[in-house]
Amino acid sequence: MAAPKPGGDKVTRNIVIGMVVFVVGVGVAFSMVSSKSSSTGVIPAAVSKSEGYGIVFNGDLKDKPVVDLWEDFQCPVCGQFEALNGAYMQQLITEKRAKVVFHILSFIGPESILAANAGACAADENQFLKFHSYLYATQSKTENSGLWSTQGLITAGAATSLTSDTFNRCVTGTKYAAWVNNVAADGAAKNINSTPTVFVNGKEIDRNTQYFDAAAFKKAVEG
Amino acid sequence: MKRFAPWLGLAVRLFLGGVLGYAGYLKAFNPSKAKMAVRAYEALPVPMANLLGILLPWCEIGLGIVLILGVAVRYASFISAALMLLFVIAIAQAALRGLSIDCGCFGGGGQVAPGKTKYLLEIARDTGLIALSLYLFRYPTTRFALEKEGF
Repeated sequence: MAAPKPGGDKVTRNIVIGMVVFVVGVGVAFSMVSSKSSSTGVIPAAVSKSEGYGIVFNGDLKDKPVVDLWEDFQCPVCGQFEALNGAYMQQLITEKRAKVVFHILSFIGPESILAANAGACAADENQFLKFHSYLYATQSKTENSGLWSTQGLITAGAATSLTSDTFNRCVTGTKYAAWVNNVAADGAAKNINSTPTVFVNGKEIDRNTQYFDAAAFKKAVEG
Repeated sequence: MKRFAPWLGLAVRLFLGGVLGYAGYLKAFNPSKAKMAVRAYEALPVPMANLLGILLPWCEIGLGIVLILGVAVRYASFISAALMLLFVIAIAQAALRGLSIDCGCFGGGGQVAPGKTKYLLEIARDTGLIALSLYLFRYPTTRFALEKEGF
């Protein structure tokens, strides 16, 4: 075998490593920028920045429990939680018995992002709760199955009487993409590692005993 | 054996590089999930865990590319072994502390229901990858590498 040119391989090595470092650097920068919170993005009217960009109900209530729910529309366990406690949560809101903040996360993938955006569009039309229940009731068994494409979400909107052009444009144009990102960034900063995660008055309730027992959940919220 | 070893080395290099690159690729484009996976180990302060969630996938991709191309194989395989050892330690501490998490090695991650953990499998897999990395560290000269000598 011919002896390699002296230094020849070192040049290859440096070029390749240089290129790889560049790719890694660009990738990291891309990930950082894409998951960074934006202070200029549009946010839905029902959203409060000081509540971690959550969708707030009964924001003006005083001396009542505060429930923070962190969820992802594609998460099956969130669907179970909604099936068990959703009606009660709606009562808390309509009967003004608690302040409720919905934090819509989007870590399960592209359709979670589209669904979260559509949820905000529904909030703009004061139909968030209805749309929220409908999405969970019709949730796909597999993640990113194509059910919640923008078209699929417009169809879901139509099923909950959301038929306005504003809603449809909001869904198609992912008007609240920046907001979806902001909620995710806030969840990351607050160490939310699972969905659903429920806080009552700022403290996480017990996942093993208080989430999936309707009576225990009521007790955790209202004592 | 002398004729055969570089071919075995090639297979190990491509496999290890492929696993690393693929694992990185699965995580790199969902930073929210990758950050959550690191946070769930409850081993680092939250801001550091979030940063690591962004860095790790891309570093795995970089390491994978270097191994597949066959450049600086001895260094790359050493880093790979060290990284896998770190993963084993992280998973083992989670298991010992009674956390219920998915390792998030190939995407996924975060808390899972108690009883749904796969710590032994995850540790066994990473230990296997450590063995392959150490083999390349010991025999870094392989076929079809950009650099003829892997040192």
